[in-house]
Amino acid sequence: MGLVKKIGKYQLGRTIGEGTFSKVKLAVNGNNGQKVAIKVIDKHMVLENNLKNQVKREIRTMKLLHHPNIVRIHEVIGTKTKIYIVMEYVSGGQLLDKISYGEKLNACEARKLFQQLIDALKYCHNKGVYHRDLKPENLLLDSKGNLKVSDFGLSALQKHNDVLNTRCGSPGYVAPELLLSKGYDGAAADVWSCGVILFELLAGYLPFNDRNLMNLYGKIWKAEYRCPPWFTQNQKKLIAKILEPRPVKRITIPDIVEDEWFQTDYKPVFASEFDQNINLDDVDVAFNSIKENIRESTIPKSSSFINAFQLIAMSQDLDLSGLFEEQDEKKQRTRLGSKHTINETIEKIEAAATDVGLSIEKMNNFKIKMQPKQIMTRCSRSYLSAQVIEVAPTHCVIEISKSTGDLRVYHKFCESLSNLLKQKPDVPSQSQDSVDLCAAERKKQDAGCYEEPKSEDSKPLPGYKSA
Amino acid sequence: MGCYCSTSKKTEAQGYEEPTILSSETPCEYHDPSLNVTVSEVEALHELYKKLSNSIVEDGLIHKEEFQLALFRNKNKKNLFADRIFDLFDLKRNGVIEFGEFVRSLGVFHPNAALEDKITFAFRLYDLRQTGFIEREELKEMVLALLHESDLELSDDMIETIVDKTFSDADINGDGRIDQDEWKAFVSKHPSLIKNMTLPYLKDITLAFPSFVIRTDIEESEM
Repeated sequence: MGLVKKIGKYQLGRTIGEGTFSKVKLAVNGNNGQKVAIKVIDKHMVLENNLKNQVKREIRTMKLLHHPNIVRIHEVIGTKTKIYIVMEYVSGGQLLDKISYGEKLNACEARKLFQQLIDALKYCHNKGVYHRDLKPENLLLDSKGNLKVSDFGLSALQKHNDVLNTRCGSPGYVAPELLLSKGYDGAAADVWSCGVILFELLAGYLPFNDRNLMNLYGKIWKAEYRCPPWFTQNQKKLIAKILEPRPVKRITIPDIVEDEWFQTDYKPVFASEFDQNINLDDVDVAFNSIKENIRESTIPKSSSFINAFQLIAMSQDLDLSGLFEEQDEKKQRTRLGSKHTINETIEKIEAAATDVGLSIEKMNNFKIKMQPKQIMTRCSRSYLSAQVIEVAPTHCVIEISKSTGDLRVYHKFCESLSNLLKQKPDVPSQSQDSVDLCAAERKKQDAGCYEEPKSEDSKPLPGYKSA
Repeated sequence: MGCYCSTSKKTEAQGYEEPTILSSETPCEYHDPSLNVTVSEVEALHELYKKLSNSIVEDGLIHKEEFQLALFRNKNKKNLFADRIFDLFDLKRNGVIEFGEFVRSLGVFHPNAALEDKITFAFRLYDLRQTGFIEREELKEMVLALLHESDLELSDDMIETIVDKTFSDADINGDGRIDQDEWKAFVSKHPSLIKNMTLPYLKDITLAFPSFVIRTDIEESEM
């Protein structure tokens, strides 16, 4: 991949944020010199995780959000491999930086930011949009110190497991009902996270904190926290209503707005009553080429789990062509199981092909064609092909077939790939099990790894932290 | 495609029927009037049939062991699916596959066979207990049998998830089993499910047995 320095009218600059699925880059509008932030999403990642429709829907939703305290999306651009979300640039950096090192804000400043946060939530929840990952990294400050919420509605790029397992503080902001992995009320979950943020703004530290993940979940589950001495009675009262572990009893946003402490110096912000006629066509255009990839695939991925009949249909046992291949006793097809993600599996196929001297040509996302690098006349038509089918997030089936030609390369490749597949994954794959307190009891060993968290080598640059 | 010619030679093999009769007959379970196999293809299939039927017991009939030997090169290798296929080919239910049954059943796998016939055959194949429905336990049994045959290992939870997901997609009326209409709708959404119901070889069957073609005066147009 060559360096992409220009996208449409935007000149791309340095990376100002990085996340699991995307990067955020600073860019300049070549027409008017305006600075923007561009979130770069890899299309393959979106496709691989079956998030195309979800991401598209959420970007469209985000484009409709017009509120002074929400980062605005200007436009969406799609290329062959990437989706670029052009967003408002917020120059003041993350709220996280302001409350680092145990510093707390004075009560007036904290309340103002909390008011702006609640205003933004109120606006979005009325539109049926929930954030689901509220934390200081997603709260930005403009040059005048006003709050801007980022990544509203982009929950598709932040799976539940990511929320629970990331090490940058997310576990501390998660509502207790999320620990159950059941359906939950997005509004109530956002309210809880706001309470954690408010506590942190006023106290300078998190209400729920423990190096042992299991202990942390236990505290969240029971809403076990202690207010510092300088909290006023009104602050304690409001926080107690927000950090109520039962969602149905938790205070709602309209009631927060009515709260006495909240009402002090409160100046409601009104979103523009005449919303612009926002064009969503660019979102459709940006996602169209993904559709073509899906059309090419012989086995479209409608979900991350193959359906059982597809598994059966792939079985050699139902392949009656054996009746007609008596002359050739040797197998023309091999099926291997892989306990790796589909991406890791494809990497191993490519490694095995290189190992036995085959050149690689990707037919589509799930099929690879391999040919001997030196094509001799006799076997100019011979090639291998490997098809990868995802059975589960960390289980794949690889079907290897061979056209006419030398069997030796075929067997060498199968042997090499089989050995590579037996190697343990480089990074332990995250457990797909639902996280609940009972499971947490059985995961003391897993929780132990949080007792000595590694310090990050490099902290993301001030500014944006993307999902 | 070959041209039609009524020339044929009788052989003394048991179970032999006039190829023109066989190629014009449709399997009684299916009502597609179009021809699935041509005369020359029937002739070629007979050569194959003779080979299979005499591989273990020289009686001119395909026994289950001979069928398994043909599929797996191992007469003792038992397999859930091979058993099901054998039972479906054995139209008379007498424990052997006669030549007529062989041709009629393989006709479903011909590239020119009607999609409807392939869908129906697959449904009957997966209906292990012949209840007229694909039950959840039948599907799970097939998945387990498949995994047992391969080196793929999935946890019990994973298998349950796959079966549950499949049923939630396929079982439209939610009665816990898949009927033929639901099966047709499901296959329409996932055409790859019946890709194993087509054998491209059947179009090239005469090329696999060229000696037979020489012995007749049928002319084949060659691609």
